[in-house]
Amino acid sequence: MWHKISFRLLKQELRRGELTIMALAIILSVTAVLSLSIFSDRLQAGLTERSSEFLAADRVLSSRRDIPADWLEQAGQMNLKTAWKVVFNSMAFADENMTLVDVKAVSDGYPLRGELEIADQPFGEGYVAKGLPAEGEAWVASQLFQALQLDIGDSIEVGDSSFKVTKVVTYEPDVGFSVFTDSPNVIIRHSQLEETGLIQPGSRVRFNVLMAGESSAINAYEDWLLPRLNDDTHSWRSIEDGDSPLSRSLNRAERFMMLASLLGVVLAATAVAVAAQRYCQRNYDVVAIFKTLGASRQQIRRIFMLHLLLLTAASVAVGMALGWAIQYVVIEWVAQKLDATLPQAGWQPYVLAGATGVISAVMFTLYPLFRLVSIPPLRVLHRQLTAGNAVRWLQWVLSGGTIYALLVIYSQQWWLSTALFAGGAVAAVLLLGLGRLFISASRKAGMQAGSSWRLAMAGLQRRAAANSLQMLSFSTAIMLLLIVIVLRNDLLEDWKRQLPADAPNYFAINIAQDNVDDLQNMFEREDIPSTDLYPIVPGRLTHINGEKLLDEVTKEDRDDDEAEGREGVGRELSLTWRDTLPPNNELTAGEWWGEDAKPQVSVELNVSERLDIKVGDELRFNLGGEEFTVPVTSLRKADWNTLQPNFYMIFNTSTLEDFPATYITSFRLDENRKSELYELFKPFPQTSLIDLDAMINQIREVIGQVSLAIVFVLVLVIIAGALVLVAQVQASMEERQKELVILRTLGAPGKLLSRSITYEFLVLGAISGLIATLAMEISLFILQNQVFNMAPVLHWKLWIVGPLFGALVVAVLGRLSCYRLIQRNTAQLIRKLA
Amino acid sequence: MLIQAQQLEKTVDTSEGPLQILQPINVSINAGDTVAIVGASGSGKSTLLSLLAGLDLASSGEVLIENEKLSELDEEQRAKVRADKVGFIFQSFLLVPSLSALENVMLPAELAGHKGAEKEARELLAKVGLEDRWHHYPNQLSGGEQQRVAIARAFVGQPKILFADEPTGNLDAKTGGKVEELLFDLNKDYGTTLIVVTHDQRLAKRCQRVLQMDAGQLSEAAQDVA
Repeated sequence: MWHKISFRLLKQELRRGELTIMALAIILSVTAVLSLSIFSDRLQAGLTERSSEFLAADRVLSSRRDIPADWLEQAGQMNLKTAWKVVFNSMAFADENMTLVDVKAVSDGYPLRGELEIADQPFGEGYVAKGLPAEGEAWVASQLFQALQLDIGDSIEVGDSSFKVTKVVTYEPDVGFSVFTDSPNVIIRHSQLEETGLIQPGSRVRFNVLMAGESSAINAYEDWLLPRLNDDTHSWRSIEDGDSPLSRSLNRAERFMMLASLLGVVLAATAVAVAAQRYCQRNYDVVAIFKTLGASRQQIRRIFMLHLLLLTAASVAVGMALGWAIQYVVIEWVAQKLDATLPQAGWQPYVLAGATGVISAVMFTLYPLFRLVSIPPLRVLHRQLTAGNAVRWLQWVLSGGTIYALLVIYSQQWWLSTALFAGGAVAAVLLLGLGRLFISASRKAGMQAGSSWRLAMAGLQRRAAANSLQMLSFSTAIMLLLIVIVLRNDLLEDWKRQLPADAPNYFAINIAQDNVDDLQNMFEREDIPSTDLYPIVPGRLTHINGEKLLDEVTKEDRDDDEAEGREGVGRELSLTWRDTLPPNNELTAGEWWGEDAKPQVSVELNVSERLDIKVGDELRFNLGGEEFTVPVTSLRKADWNTLQPNFYMIFNTSTLEDFPATYITSFRLDENRKSELYELFKPFPQTSLIDLDAMINQIREVIGQVSLAIVFVLVLVIIAGALVLVAQVQASMEERQKELVILRTLGAPGKLLSRSITYEFLVLGAISGLIATLAMEISLFILQNQVFNMAPVLHWKLWIVGPLFGALVVAVLGRLSCYRLIQRNTAQLIRKLA
Repeated sequence: MLIQAQQLEKTVDTSEGPLQILQPINVSINAGDTVAIVGASGSGKSTLLSLLAGLDLASSGEVLIENEKLSELDEEQRAKVRADKVGFIFQSFLLVPSLSALENVMLPAELAGHKGAEKEARELLAKVGLEDRWHHYPNQLSGGEQQRVAIARAFVGQPKILFADEPTGNLDAKTGGKVEELLFDLNKDYGTTLIVVTHDQRLAKRCQRVLQMDAGQLSEAAQDVA
């Protein structure tokens, strides 16, 4: 029987819109969580796929020794695509000329991710290569044409083999960022590796197997492979292990999306809570009537539980459908805009979204429902009777616990959740107190104002307790909105700063001493912006404080395992000298030399940490057989995000200036002037050029993708915030209705009433906006410091925008919600209340 | 004896200390009686009604319905007593806004688990002249119509006792008269014991007994009290 009653009630309540806000809140929370998590899942996968291009694969297995063939077979069996990439240095010869090159022997399929681009002429316009060089052919970098005086069709000799140069390599996805260590690349087929005779025991070769496939297959293979790996010989890498500007940007974006979605979920849950409470309050009379007519607690509990379950189930279903549709449309749009396909998401987002809807609906309704069931039947005679407040703590525990649980479930990071939750709780208490303070202050101000204002302030004051709670949720909603908006702007600005439109897009290296002036003149004449020219002297760091450093990169290279010594850099360094601290470098310890002529060195921070070097340490260097020792007088932090030359070791001028040096610089040449490049650099045949455009574009594209994602998150958070506001305004309607009836009956004109309501909401909104701005500044300060590693800034504009925005939005929402109330005539109102 | 009140007292706590709303009250009501409780506003009429109906508990003393002590029952058991034996009519009608006229009338019978609730409800709606409006919701009905629905609801399940709290208090004289007529007609048909709290002299006069409530004290009034 009870279920019939329950259905009937539900049907009519739905029709009358009593449950709209609650349903909307549940739908929104499900929609938001689902679309956000599918979206970020797919975007993340898409980004990883794209970033995988930096590896030319999803994973790379590297080794100093040959990799067992059955490991590749196993990968093949597990549905992974594989390709060889064997890299080593060698001399390349063409007629009388010779130079050191990086030989890359690759097999079919390379690159597994990203595209290899080639051109028909050196520095020519690149296009996507279909396949690899044929047997007996080689594709080489533009620089090699300068270094070996080559033309297309000429042959080069590498080891015992001869290769005909047929194409120019313009872009390799896995070329990396290192400027100094790379010699020009030569790409040949893996099958011809042996003929070169260059792979001998002890030769410095890096064997790589590139792998790509579904992430489940990769994970399965990883499980199979990892126990077989020898830490000393093998390395197993993914793009996330990298420390590129890209992976840093991705990390930040991911953290932002996570945070914004969390806030969205909290907002939606708040809306559910407010709506649930209101829904139950509206049913106090109904429960009293039911009890008077003989309904038992159990019957009432069942009737309303069923409501809740049906409403939740329906809302979750609608939310799922909507969430799926939204992310589908957005993804299509993003994909179209970025000319990319994004992989499908797994089943987890659906579970997550469903759980969010059910948990927030059930947990936030539990306490109001508990109170509803305890309504005394006597309420039919004494309307002021409500449920007891005996277990009010239960409400705080339930809603607090639920929000915390949602945070943890969603972020799967307990520390972030705990920090957010604790911060939120402290903020809530402060906001509540602050809100009351403001309300009582505004009441005093209102006393001196006209009648609409006086009425408004009196209303505010009378509902102080309810209002300060209401203000709490207004403030929270506005604050979260502001945080998300500001953070988004700061994040984008920060990225833009890193990659300004005029960022250098070429490195010129191996510039001869004699060419330095001419090159600088050429840059000036041709109006090409460039960085300073830095001299480079190759040298080795051999001792720190007299302690000998190991020369080898890794332990396996040592012939004698017993060899003792301190860990070193393991390779030749590019040393430079300068009188002034380079731009974008920052001293972290010691002092920069002025006119001081004594030999000394400044060490980059990261390398100093790795090698445990401190100011005052004595470093011994070997430069082509000549050795000297200098003290470390400063440590520097270099900004590796900027595309300009950076150095581990910088010496003062007198220390190095007598050594033979080549020079390096970076410069910007616009896309449309690329064709001039060959002519411009013809007078400097020794100089090698490295094109960064492809890499910069790739980063820009990824940032574009992430920015779109952030806009999407922002829209969802705004909707969630608006819903909280509407739910909150609606919740106060009942109370207002009563008051309106009395004032109306006493003959207050409609204009006065509508004005006083508008003013009340205006003040409420303005105060909420002000508090929100304050809270936002504090939260942002902490977030930018702790989570995003960004420099915190004050947002003066928002101190005006925040309160204005709050006042406007709350007033409009409040006024709209009360519109029908004021339009009703007194008799209607009285009847409605009766 | 259907209802008995023995030494019934009600005291509430106020900010100025305890306030005694009902002085010790003793009254017995026989099955089939029609009883009016009259008195000034605040004299304690509604409080007495709430105690007799088991909606509230007395501070001391006892209410017995068919010799069952309400004070010994918990809220659930008292609800059961109401479901089985009691019907209500209120000044403000107290219909469930989300249920139609028919559903409102069916409600007590359904809560009590009676079969055939709909048939009985339709018959009662016909008796109060609302057979054509069964599908209307309370906000689509006039005050008089709402109170007629409430009367139909009160009689569904054929309760032994009917409590009416100012049943005509919210209605104009003409409508009030019609409602009153209906109430007594049905009461006669069903042989229900009617206990009505009212200001309405005409209504009180139609009852067999009139009890006068005065500052918490109850006294039997002469039939021609006015």
